[in-house]
Formats: sequence, structure tokens, C-alpha cells
Amino acid sequence: MMIKRKHFLIAPLALTLVLASCGGDKTEGDDDMSAGVDTLKTETQTEQVTETFFQVPSPGEMLTFIKMVGGKNNKNVSFLNSADNQKNYTDNKTKALNFGIYSCDLSYCSIFEIGSEALKYFKVVKQLGDQIGVSSAIQPAVLKRLEGNLGNPDSLSVITDDVYFSSFEALEASKQGPTLSLVVAGGWIESLYIATSLAKYDAKSPVVERLADQKYTLDNLIEFLKKYESDASVAGVLAQFTDLQSDFAKIGEKDAVASTDKTKNVLGGGKELAITADQYKAIVDKIKAIRNSYTLTK
Amino acid sequence: MKKILFSLFILSTVLMYSQASVCGQFHRKYCVVETKRGGNGGWLYNAQSKSGLFNQGSTSKIRCVIYKGMDYRINVCCETAIGDKLTYKIFDARTSELLYDNSTAQNEPLFEFQSTASRQLIIEVTVPNGATSQDKHKPMEAACVGLLIEHKVTERQGFSQY
Repeated sequence: MMIKRKHFLIAPLALTLVLASCGGDKTEGDDDMSAGVDTLKTETQTEQVTETFFQVPSPGEMLTFIKMVGGKNNKNVSFLNSADNQKNYTDNKTKALNFGIYSCDLSYCSIFEIGSEALKYFKVVKQLGDQIGVSSAIQPAVLKRLEGNLGNPDSLSVITDDVYFSSFEALEASKQGPTLSLVVAGGWIESLYIATSLAKYDAKSPVVERLADQKYTLDNLIEFLKKYESDASVAGVLAQFTDLQSDFAKIGEKDAVASTDKTKNVLGGGKELAITADQYKAIVDKIKAIRNSYTLTK
Repeated sequence: MKKILFSLFILSTVLMYSQASVCGQFHRKYCVVETKRGGNGGWLYNAQSKSGLFNQGSTSKIRCVIYKGMDYRINVCCETAIGDKLTYKIFDARTSELLYDNSTAQNEPLFEFQSTASRQLIIEVTVPNGATSQDKHKPMEAACVGLLIEHKVTERQGFSQY
């Protein structure tokens, strides 16, 4: 898996990993991995661990999962943030949060093959993107690609995913960490809001299980936000998410069932989460409250 | 002389940031898994993928989330400048238990797996010291390393309600 590039740049100043995606953090103080790091130092004294980067799955991953486990015929858009609300977002914080929210709504419309709505949300994403500094990532040509692929949901999803990833990269490259963290937070909360709008509680529902598993994603997202908590807007979101984390912490755990599949590499161990109806309701209510505080809706 | 030094400083800074920008999507361009039959077998890009600039002896970690009921595929790739002996280890983030070490598989860059439970993983990528020691013509310098993560819903065996 080696790649030869003709224009490899000599970079003596770049002593280590320099790119940050979801927030990097010094290894020291990372309690979760302290034992693992100690092990590594013992094995290879000359190697230096630099940073831990906290990654967050894209909103599209959750939405694709919902579709694949039974939501193929869903066309409901009633719970999405109305495109008309865009005019209400005048400060940088609400613009960034709702850029993430609208990007998720755009992804939803693409994945569930609601083409006309996808076009509408693309235009909102484009307008907000211009305002938060990612205009280079959302070129007008993308709109033509969208219009040309309205009947092709797979292509639509690829195009809208590209919009999200390109925006992510543009914010990262321009060192707009606080804005990036707000975008990621907005997209994540909207994906949960959509999921909980579609799924009724059923302990065995794959969507409900996936919602409970967001406990892990929320942990990563909070670590990511902490990197920028000196920013007042990020600090406010961090406080809300930390409060939500306390509800996720109440979900019970049990040992995962060992796999009997001998044909695949299976990472064993771990814990399965078992969410009760009351816990589910509490989380759903809090997700709704947080999300609506961002969209400025009731 | 000052102008020359200033120019060199600006140039090196530009080069550094240029390299960083190049590395940004390195994994999407160069870590793509080629299949014999064409297509990608239903694998979807996972946003937790990452690229970065490494030099020999450096290690970096990502903490990511994987879900039960999904298949995952990891592929690590790099530029020739730092060799082809990338190692990576997968730990359970909560217990620090070592779950996989590609050095036990001849540094195979590709690894497909699933998990019995949703969990947080730490993926630790290392470019060992001396990775290019066999080729003295290659400079020991920093280069891009990509970690591509892909996923797909695990195919259910037997009859299914979905």
C-alpha cells in the first residue's frame, strides 16, 4: 500500500502529525488509554505518541442505517428544520450549528430519495456555507450535479456526503476549529432528532439500539468540543451535551454475547447497552430540547 | 541576507501547510482498496477516516466508534518516503485491551472485522524507526499516512425481516 508522489515536499519543520480532524488532545491525561500507552512505551522506547484525535461518525451513517433496517419507504419531512428558518440565523453560532443541521437534513433527503427537498436544502446549505467560510467547498457545479442525479439516490448521497466532507475539510484547513465543532455538533444532534422522530421505543429495535450506542459517539464529541471550550459558543454547546451525557450514563450494560461466526474476524468482549423506555424518553426529550434551542423552534 | 532568510522561512511555512493540506484527504485518494471484480463490495466511506503527516518513529492515535451489526474495513497506506512497514494496533478504548496488532500479520495494511458490541476503539498508527533503512537513497523525512475506514451493514444469514 505504498504510494509514490512526484511532488513530495521536504518538510523538516513537520516533526509529527500536524493535521487535526476531530479534536486532538495530548495523550497525557487521556485516562481511557493510559494503560495502553504505558504498554507502548515499554515496547518501543524511541517512539513518541503525539496526540489522540476524537472522531465522530457522519450524520449520514446513522441515516443510512435507519434506511437499511426498515425505513426504505419513508418520505416524511415534517420534522426537518424548515428551510424558511434560515433567515433567523444571524449570529455565527446559530449559523454554524444550523449549517450542520441543514447538512444533515440534506443528507436525509438524499438518502431517502426526496429529491425536490434535497435541492431546497442544498440551497440553504450553500447560503449558510458561504457565510461561515466554506464557500470554496460548495461550488455551484454541485447544484448541477444534484439536479442531474435526482433520480439516482446513490449518487445523490455521494454528492451530499461530499458537500459535508468538503466543508469539514475546508474548516479544518482554515483552522476554524470552533466553527467546525459547532457544525459537527449540529449535524450529530439533528441525526438523533430525525432518528427519534422516526423510531418508537422498542427494546429490540435496531434504531433504538443504535440510539443507545450514541453514548459512545457523544463521549467522543464532547472530547472534541473540549478542545475549543475557550470559545463561549462552544462552551455553551458543551454544557448542553455534558448534560445529555448524564442521561446516556444511566443506560444499563451487560456483557456482549460471543460470536459464533468463524468466517470473520470478530473483536470480542465489550458491553451491550440496554436502554429502558423511561431512559429512552428522557434522552429523546433532551435531544429535542437541545435541537430546538439551535433551530430556534418549538 | 535577511531577505533570503525571510524568504526561506516563508517558503518552509508554505511548504508545511501545503503538505498538511495534501495530507487532508490523502486516505481518500490513495488508500482505496482495489477489488478483483471491480466495485467496492458495498463498502461505504466512514467519516472517522484520517490522514496526517508522520516522520519515522512517530505514532498517532484516533479514538473512533464502531457499531454492532456492522462490518468494518481498515486500510492504512503511506508514501514511499517513510517505507512500507506501518504498524497499527487496535485497542478497546475503555479497557485498553489490545484487540488487534497488524505486526502479527506481516504488517498487512488491510483488516476486515466486526465487533460483538458497539464500542470505542483506539487505533494507534506507528511509522517505525528505520523503516527505510534498506534503501539508503531515500531521505528520512516526513510523509503522509492515511487511515481509511469503511463500513457496511452486516449481511444477515438466513431469512430476515428486513
